Amino acid sequence: MSKTLVIQPVTRIEGHAKVTVQLDDAGNVSDARVNVVELRGFEKFCIGRPVEELPRIVTSICGVCPWSHHLASAKACDAVFGVEPPPAGRKLRELANSIAYTEEHILHFYFLAGADFILGPAADHSIRNVIGIASAVPDVAKRVVRSRHLGARMLEILSGKSIHPVAGVPGGFSKALTAEERDKMLPMAEEVLELAKFSIAFAKSDVFPKYLDAVKTLGVIKTGFLGTVTKDGTLDLYDGVLRMMQADGTYEEFPCDKYTDYIGEHIEPWTYLKFPYMKKVGKLSMDLDNPVGVYRTNTLARINVCDRIRTPLAQKEFEEFRSKFGRPVQLTLAYHWARLIELLYNAEYAVELLKSPDITSTDIRVPVKPRAARGVGCVEAPRGTLIHDYETDADGIVTNVNLIVGTTHNNAPINMSVKKAAIDNIKGGKYDQGLLNMVEMAIRAYDPCLSCATHDLDGHIPVEIKILASDGETVAVVR
Amino acid sequence: MPSYADSQRDFTEPGEDLPGFCQADTVVMGCGNRLLGDDGFGPAVISYLRDYAPVPKRAVLLDAGTGISRLLFDMALSPSRPRRLIVVDAMRLGLPPGTVSVLPLDSFTPDHTRTFAEHQEPTSCLLKELRDLSGIEVTLLVAEPEFMPGEVSPGLSPAIQRAVLKAREIIEPALVA
Repeated sequence: MSKTLVIQPVTRIEGHAKVTVQLDDAGNVSDARVNVVELRGFEKFCIGRPVEELPRIVTSICGVCPWSHHLASAKACDAVFGVEPPPAGRKLRELANSIAYTEEHILHFYFLAGADFILGPAADHSIRNVIGIASAVPDVAKRVVRSRHLGARMLEILSGKSIHPVAGVPGGFSKALTAEERDKMLPMAEEVLELAKFSIAFAKSDVFPKYLDAVKTLGVIKTGFLGTVTKDGTLDLYDGVLRMMQADGTYEEFPCDKYTDYIGEHIEPWTYLKFPYMKKVGKLSMDLDNPVGVYRTNTLARINVCDRIRTPLAQKEFEEFRSKFGRPVQLTLAYHWARLIELLYNAEYAVELLKSPDITSTDIRVPVKPRAARGVGCVEAPRGTLIHDYETDADGIVTNVNLIVGTTHNNAPINMSVKKAAIDNIKGGKYDQGLLNMVEMAIRAYDPCLSCATHDLDGHIPVEIKILASDGETVAVVR
Repeated sequence: MPSYADSQRDFTEPGEDLPGFCQADTVVMGCGNRLLGDDGFGPAVISYLRDYAPVPKRAVLLDAGTGISRLLFDMALSPSRPRRLIVVDAMRLGLPPGTVSVLPLDSFTPDHTRTFAEHQEPTSCLLKELRDLSGIEVTLLVAEPEFMPGEVSPGLSPAIQRAVLKAREIIEPALVA
C-alpha cells in the first residue's frame, strides 16, 4: 500500500506551506509537492488609487521584505512618470536596500537555516531551534542580535522608518542624509561589516565542511537561473538588466519591462501559487530527469549569472566560490554560501555608499507629473527578482497592477528540490524526524517568503508532513 | 509587521547593545494583517493603547504585524529578555464573535497550537520555548474574529472593534503591575 507524507508546516520559513510526499507500494517516493495558499486581491486593492501611494501601500503586503517592495514600487512609479532620480537619491535608495539586505541575510543564516547547520539536521527537534543556537554559541548570538538592531537603527536614521518605509518616492528619496547622520551611521555599518566577515569565515571553517556531503547531494536539481546585472555583468541588486541563464551556462539579457516576453506563468490545480517559467522554451516541465523551462532566482542564481562583484572582499569570496563549484552551480544548499557572499557584499557596499561624498547631497528628488503610462520597476529582493508592473490613466490613477515576487519565481525549483530530497531520504517507507528535516532543509535553502502571497486564513500552521497510503488514506502526520 | 520604527521611542539609544523590547520589563505584541479584516485586531489594540492608555517607560508596545517571529527570534537569541510578554491576536476558538480570552500557553492542545498560529507555526513553538527555556511569562490575549476575508479587505467588524476596548481593560492593569 503506498503512502503520502505531508509536511505541514515547514518550520522556520516565512509564511505557510505544506509538503505532500506520495509513497508507492514499495514505500519509495513517487511524487512530492509544496502547496501554498495565496493571499488574493492585493493587486485589485491597488487599482483606483493614485500611483504615488503604491510605494507606501505595498509595504503592507507583508513584514518580511518591505524595503524590496518599497523600492520596486518607487522604481515602477519613476517609470510611470518617466523620470530618473538624481544620483544622490538613487544612492540613498541603494543604501537602504543594502542595509535591509544585511538584516535579512543575517536573519536567514543564523535564525532560519542556522539551526540545521549549527546543531545539525538530525538534532532533536526540541533543541534544533533558536534557543538551541543561543545556548550553543551565545557570543555569536549576541553579535547577531546587535547587528540586526544596528541595521534597524540605520534604516530609521536614513528614512525615519525601518519597516513600512515611506522615504522612497516617485522621482527619488524624500529625506536627505545629513553629515551628522552619516557620521552616526558609518561606525554602525562598519560593525555590521565585521559580522559579515566573521559569518562567512565561520561558515567556511566550522559549518560548511561538516555538511559538504549534504551540500553536494541534498535537493540538487538542474535548472536555469535569473538575476540582475549591470551592462558589464556586475552583480547589482537595485538596477540593471535581467540575465536569464540556461542550465548549460549560456544566457540572454533583457530589460525588466520586457519580462512578459521572457517569463510565462504556468498554473497547477493543487496550489494557488503560479509557476513562472522560461517563456521562450514554450512550456514548463518539473520532471527531475528532464526539466524544461525551469529557472531559479535568489542568492545562488545571482551569483551564478553575474561576472563579478563590485566590492573587494565579496569579489574575493565570489572568485573562491566559482573556483570551487564552477558555473552555474546547481547545488541547492549552495544558496547558503551564496547568501553569505551577498551579505558581505551588501555590508561592504553600505560602508562604501556612506563614504561617497555626494551621499549627503540635498539634490535627491525630481518633480513628477501624472500621465497615462505603463511602468515596470524591478529590484533583486533577498529572496529573488521582484517585479512591479503598473499602468495608470492620464490622472495618474492606477488601472492595472501585476506583481511577481521573488519566491514565486522559485516555485517550480522548490517543488523539484523537495521531491529530489524526499526521493533520496525516504526509502522503503522508512523515515524519521531527521530525514524529514532534510526535506525541509531543501525548502529553507531558497529562503522562501510566502507571506507576500500567502496567508492561511483557516489558521493552519506552515508545514506538516503527512504520509498517505497508495489508496489515498492518511497513515501518519508529522509536524 | 514588526515595527521597529513604531517602538523607536521605547528603544535603546544608539550605542546601546540590544533592542529595547529585549530590555523592557513588559512587552505587548499585536499580531495580524491590517489588510485582512478582523486579522488586524492585534495591531488595532496596539494603536489604541498608544493613543489612550498610560504606558510606563518600562513597557514596550509593538505592532508585530505578520512578522512576529523575527521579533521573537531576536528576543530568543538576546542575552537580555523581558520579564513578561503579552501577545495579542485574532483566533478562531468557536466562541461568539468579539469574545476576548486570556489563554495560557499550556491550554493549547496540538490542534489548538495549529489554530493559534495564524501567522507562523514557529511563533507558537518560540513562545513555548521562550517561556520554558528563558523564563519569560507569556500570555496570549485573543479575540474571536467575525470577518476574516479571503481577499484584501481592511477594516474591523463591529464585534472586533468592541473587542479592542475589552483588550485595553485587560492589558492596561498588566502594564503597571
